[in-house]
Amino acid sequence: MANAIIEFKSVTKQYDNDPPVLDDVSFEIERGKFYTLLGPSGCGKTTILRLIAGFTEASDGEIYFNNKITNHVPANKRQVNTVFQDYALFPHLNVFENVAFGLRIKKMKNAEIEQKVKEALSFVNLEGYENREIREMSGGQRQRVAIARAIVNEPEVILLDEPLSALDLKLRTEMQYELRELQRRLGITFIFVTHDQEEALAMSDEIFVINKGKIQQSGTPTDIYDEPINRFVADFIGESNIVTGKMVQDQLVEMVGKRFECVDGGFQSNEPVEIVIRPEDLEITTVERGKLQVKVDSQLFRGVHYEISSYDQDGNEWLVHSTKKAVVGEEIGLYFDPEAIHVMRFNETEEEFDKRLEAYTDGSGHGK
Amino acid sequence: MDRKITPVSKIFLVIIFFILYAPIFFLIFYSFNSGGNMNNFEGFTFDWYKELFQDTRLLIIVLNTLVVALLAALFSTIIGVMGALGIHAARRRQTKNTLLSINNVLIVSPDVIIGASFLVLFTMAGIKLGFYSVLLSHIAFCVPIVVLMVLPKLSEMSPTLLDAARDLGASRLDVITKVVLPYITPGIFAGFFMALTFSLDDFAVTFFVTGNGFSTLSVEIYSLARRGISLNINALSTLLFLFTLILVVIYYFINQRQQKPVLGGRK
Ligand SMILES: Nc1ncnc2c1ncn2[C@@H]1O[C@H](COP(=O)(O)OP(=O)(O)OP(=O)(O)O)[C@@H](O)[C@H]1O
Ligand SMILES: [Mg+2]
Repeated sequence: MANAIIEFKSVTKQYDNDPPVLDDVSFEIERGKFYTLLGPSGCGKTTILRLIAGFTEASDGEIYFNNKITNHVPANKRQVNTVFQDYALFPHLNVFENVAFGLRIKKMKNAEIEQKVKEALSFVNLEGYENREIREMSGGQRQRVAIARAIVNEPEVILLDEPLSALDLKLRTEMQYELRELQRRLGITFIFVTHDQEEALAMSDEIFVINKGKIQQSGTPTDIYDEPINRFVADFIGESNIVTGKMVQDQLVEMVGKRFECVDGGFQSNEPVEIVIRPEDLEITTVERGKLQVKVDSQLFRGVHYEISSYDQDGNEWLVHSTKKAVVGEEIGLYFDPEAIHVMRFNETEEEFDKRLEAYTDGSGHGK
Repeated sequence: MDRKITPVSKIFLVIIFFILYAPIFFLIFYSFNSGGNMNNFEGFTFDWYKELFQDTRLLIIVLNTLVVALLAALFSTIIGVMGALGIHAARRRQTKNTLLSINNVLIVSPDVIIGASFLVLFTMAGIKLGFYSVLLSHIAFCVPIVVLMVLPKLSEMSPTLLDAARDLGASRLDVITKVVLPYITPGIFAGFFMALTFSLDDFAVTFFVTGNGFSTLSVEIYSLARRGISLNINALSTLLFLFTLILVVIYYFINQRQQKPVLGGRK
């Protein structure tokens, strides 16, 4: 693809004889977009960044940068800069010199360095902090120094490894806006690592959901939230109710012993499936009007809404997010639209999933 | 420190320090004695010091000692830092531990054995005993000390710091000169001063490897003391004591300067 700046082709990373940390991973990164790698601890996010930055080499497969193989290009020769999880600022240099480090290596003229560093620091709202020592900066300020140090070199790609994980919620939200804004202004490709799904949904153009060294699903935040490919993704991104059932035919699914209208298609008839309904898509109503009848088990006040946990007669748990309070122990009905149901096939790969999705949303017919 | 120092432990501390320092002060005190012995103090005099400064042979020995100490400290610091970098860079834990153990064995092994083995080595290699043999052996026993002072600084350094430098375009040499060395500077200074003091007051090793015509202060004092008591020795020892005191003070201030950031900084 012409616009791809980074491409992984069947990249595997393995330490000694352990099971591979990354297993046959392939993806493309397009120029100028904000990407997020999302996944649980130890799934290989940092490893992907380290491969892109050149701190470690792939055991197998090719990594392309601007359509050229970069597997053996040393880190200092790559057009990539990293914002490290622990910031990795040089403690013996002050803020100015930290930011200027890369420029000094390039032997840039002093006047130019001064101007560029000032510019970078004002990008991250740190004007006037040039002469501070690193130890005199707060956590959030240090992080912004780390970002300034990366952007001042005007790389083509910036890698950010959980740069917000150490910040408090308020500062974190603020920094999320600032980062996103910064990326738009600079037009640089950002690859951002997090294990916070809300952060990923809020910031990204595109999300890669990773588990156990494999990319489970990639897509826009809405794609991934609305159309998770499997149980892992549905569970990891947002809260969800997942029950097993079967697809009677396209647009008709059976669960909890009842048949429901839905909008999914492309299945074999009577194929066993998993069904996802998001808690915010469930509406509390009377037992008669409800499509499902459940008993309220407990409820938590979450600030924006109540989180109500209830059970149907089969013992499946149903989480409901509602602005209205429920009464614990009471029988209630749950109502949802056909669009609220999302049906997932077992062991479907992302390719098959995309193909199927295309087939039935085009209206080109049922079950091909 | 939260714990109160009880009066008993205070007294204990005073007694200990008194016992440790009394002989030194006794020595210093009699270096000003005009009586010529250490039995009774007759009157105050600077004679012994004057005599000391007129003794050119002795002054040359002092100079020798200083030159050896400075050179030994310098070279052992350079070698030791490189060694520490090497040990730190060792990938496998086992290699690292082995190298470290070899280093530590050199520190704990008795000076007499080191001295004797150097003597054997130098005679076998045909190196003439004198300035160079002393310098070489001093460098040799100072290197492990420097390594030991520098290594903790290296392991304290976060490895992502090196990645960060590479990431910003630094070559391997740049990483060492612009990041690693500045970071471990306190350790390097500590190692240098340690090496300096170890070399200055070494007796046992030096005693084995000095030949005729070359001597250092500690060896000289020893031979003076063997010849018979002269208050010259007291004067010389006093000056030596003051010199080391000055070194300790300098070391203290360098340390203070470097520690201030850590103390003042917030986590
Ligand atoms: N040098 C190494 N030697 C052996 N195994 C390693 C090494 N570095 C990483 N691993 C393993 O690779 C796996 C993935 O590590 P990685 O750092 O990429 O995880 P991560 O997704 O960044 O996790 P986290 O969210 O906790 O940072 C882990 O199981 C880790 O134990
Ligand atoms: Mg990580």
